[in-house]
Amino acid sequence: MRATKNKAPNPTELIDWLNDEGLVELDWDFPEEGDLIAAGLDSMAVMQLVVAVEDFFGVELTPDNLTRTNLESPRKLAALIASKMS
Amino acid sequence: MIADHGRFDVVVIGGGSAGMAAAITAARSGARTILIERHGYAGGMGTASLVHSFCGLYLLRREPGAVIANPGFCGEIEQRMSAATGIGPQRMGRLDVLPQHPVEFVRIADEMLAAEPMLETLFHAEVCGIERDADEWRISLTHRTDCTRLASSSIVDASGDAVVAAWLGRECAVAPAEKLQRPAYVFGVRCAAAIDEAARLRISGRLCEGIREGLLPPEALGLTFRASGRLGEVFGTLDLTGNMNGRDFDPLDASCLSGLEFTGRQVAAAVVRYLAGHDATWSDSYISHWPARAGIRESRRWVGEYVLTGEDLLESRHFDDEIALATWPMEMRETAKGPKLRFPTEDLPAGIPLRCLKPAGIDRLFVAGRCISADHEAQASIRVMGTCFATGEAAGRAAAG
Repeated sequence: MRATKNKAPNPTELIDWLNDEGLVELDWDFPEEGDLIAAGLDSMAVMQLVVAVEDFFGVELTPDNLTRTNLESPRKLAALIASKMS
Repeated sequence: MIADHGRFDVVVIGGGSAGMAAAITAARSGARTILIERHGYAGGMGTASLVHSFCGLYLLRREPGAVIANPGFCGEIEQRMSAATGIGPQRMGRLDVLPQHPVEFVRIADEMLAAEPMLETLFHAEVCGIERDADEWRISLTHRTDCTRLASSSIVDASGDAVVAAWLGRECAVAPAEKLQRPAYVFGVRCAAAIDEAARLRISGRLCEGIREGLLPPEALGLTFRASGRLGEVFGTLDLTGNMNGRDFDPLDASCLSGLEFTGRQVAAAVVRYLAGHDATWSDSYISHWPARAGIRESRRWVGEYVLTGEDLLESRHFDDEIALATWPMEMRETAKGPKLRFPTEDLPAGIPLRCLKPAGIDRLFVAGRCISADHEAQASIRVMGTCFATGEAAGRAAAG
């Protein structure tokens, strides 16, 4: 499933989008609750993520948004992006 | 007038992790050995460029506990470094690495080099010519305005850049500019803040904010911070594209490297100044340590009797003449956006044959370290210091034999 520009992604769309952007390499069956940080979303990848989220979804993630709780799974990250868009 | 520095059994060119292992091993094997190093200390990337982890020391395994892949020199270094830092192997994701401190590495290298009666170490010297004369190598060295000459039976090229191949006009290989593994600029920071996961994520957010506000250059996106293991000290590692002034990255070009040094320092200084002003926990931080040179991951390589391939590593292949195991995954850094790791299919190490250390058709010449005969993909594994110690040890033994 392809994420749509400027539209909040669901967790599955977000997994594909993270792969397409080359931010972290996730298996096709990576779970919505899977640990993104353990899968390689390190501090440098998080910076690329902030830039890519701003560019594609049009929202700015702030330092306070970048917590393990918000980033730990595709479901949580999709919810963060959605909350910033609403 | 060119002074004569004498005759040796083995000359080792370059005192990085591979060269120091080669020189110490050759000397221990009874060969009269000289190590030629351009800086004022040995250790190469691990000292002059502040690369602060020994990767490739341990087997890839799912079970807990780190197991040395290539006993011998690697085990000795591990033991000395752990004793100095009080830190043992750490598991990072699927990999075991040994954090190392460049200041301790300089001292350990000094002690190990000085302990060998058959070894002379010559700092502040660079090779400026190599010729083959009958059964002897004639090597010219430059030290500021002086030149000296020495002779040896065998050479180990541990230069990292295959400089012996260049002096002899022999076949070597370099990846296309756009594929070369990107360089890294590492610097030390005095910083009271703890660098845990939460801090790293927050700092990432701060740097993005600084870039957005136009207060930081976009190159800051390539930066990560890691605790040095010493109280109040942090290392920043900045991955850069290496493309300078509209020209592609070229690790052998002094202009390109000069641009890299300037850029690394500019970005590092801007970031630390920004964080000191924008993050309460960083308010008293400052840069405490510049590297002597930017860190280079890939450069010119020898073409040897065998070229180790990425497929050899993926398939964990073994060879009758293997001298060491390659255990680190292929760590691709073709962009400045972080590593892409390629693991072997079965989580098993591959062998590195002695033929990768022997340039084709040249007697009494061996190669060690990141410029051994390997393709671009395999080099992304064998370049790490843990493996360089092992290929250095093997080259030193072969050269002394």
